[in-house]
Amino acid sequence: MLPVECVIDESGITAARGRARLAIRLPWYRSLPLSTVRVERLAIDGADIPLESVRFSLNELNVTLEELEDCTDDFWFVLDSAYLEFPASVEPGSPHEVAVTVSLFPPYIPGMKRANAQSAKLIAGEAP
Amino acid sequence: MTFDLGATLYAFTNEYLTRSFSFEDLLREIASRELGPGIEVVGFQSIRTFPEVDDAFADRFKALVAELALEPRSLAINSDRFLKPGEPIPDEKLIEYHKRQMRSAQKLGFPIVRYQFATPPELLPELAPFAEELGIRMGLEVHAPAHANHPIVLRYREVYDRLQSNALGWIPDFGGTAYRLPPSLLQSARERGVPEKLIDLLLEIWPETGAPHERAGKLREAATREGFTPEHIQIVSLPFFILSNEDPKSWSELVANSIHIHGKFYGVGDDGREEAIDYDTILPIFRDGGFNGTMVSEWEGHAYSTADAFLQVERHQQMCRRILETT
Repeated sequence: MLPVECVIDESGITAARGRARLAIRLPWYRSLPLSTVRVERLAIDGADIPLESVRFSLNELNVTLEELEDCTDDFWFVLDSAYLEFPASVEPGSPHEVAVTVSLFPPYIPGMKRANAQSAKLIAGEAP
Repeated sequence: MTFDLGATLYAFTNEYLTRSFSFEDLLREIASRELGPGIEVVGFQSIRTFPEVDDAFADRFKALVAELALEPRSLAINSDRFLKPGEPIPDEKLIEYHKRQMRSAQKLGFPIVRYQFATPPELLPELAPFAEELGIRMGLEVHAPAHANHPIVLRYREVYDRLQSNALGWIPDFGGTAYRLPPSLLQSARERGVPEKLIDLLLEIWPETGAPHERAGKLREAATREGFTPEHIQIVSLPFFILSNEDPKSWSELVANSIHIHGKFYGVGDDGREEAIDYDTILPIFRDGGFNGTMVSEWEGHAYSTADAFLQVERHQQMCRRILETT
């Protein structure tokens, strides 16, 4: 897998009070406005997570995936990790198969959509 | 200044995205390997606060390039017109979006901003005087599928002729004049499991006429019909957007007002030649036409390969020196 295709960040998944937090990366060569980023699939251990229950968090920002579509003034710096927070019972130290699809619509290339799917086996860490 | 060589940090995208090299590490490595002195930086890649640049970053950057004897030549800016997919923002907003980036370029000491076709030529009557005020120039990246006489370039040429602004120029990008698809690109597709029949389809449709999205769409349709996977189809769609096979001699029309060059390349073989772009034909056109500026080595093989970009850029610059000094 090329660096520009990586979606799952090496800092992985952590657990906190019935919710899980997965670190993700921006699969593009430059920062993008969050309004051009779509999380199209999130699954853990083979079960899809309903996307309306997922929150997207980056630095000070914490929004639903629907609200993400309006974040035209918020940039995802290409070296920063963002986090997906979702309901799941994840015990620290337990292994999980995670699958994520992040699609991008680069705002300077009309009509272009790039889908990036990745799955990985992760060992859940302690919540920060 | 005459025709000199440099590097764009875009070439080192993989080293940067893997966190192997920070922005500062890249500048230091470019300097120590003597791949400058001219550098191009992609604002939205290297600068966290872009389109704004704060004083602390600007001070640090200026001190660093002074220490390393590097010379900021071009800051790549973006025309993010579709902040929401499919919905162009109003022109006034887009103009302000450009101006923020242009102010940042000036603040960092870049004499040129690289702009793209996504900036409509209708905005130039407002942007060119602003560039003049700032004392910087705007170079349009003439990128695949365009070339000197492509209809879209003719629209900019018409506006340039009308405005007669010293702030407006061209940045040729050689990806538009490739004579074939890079073998390294095809090899990488094979290694990633793309079936030979799908590669044949790419080789058949890529040289046809038509806009990239039309040809890529044609390939997608045919490939889907034949049952190829979306992942493989995505891999063979990329070349339509980064490469086209126009006549390299067509650059002669733009030489006079070229202010910077993207030395786009994919790989230099053991024979000392670029594998898909005929530098032996192209470079003398610019040298003999009196090009006065920097050509930055822009290795784009990182879009499909994890080869060491520093070695690639070194080979590219060796090739360019051979051509510029001997042919």
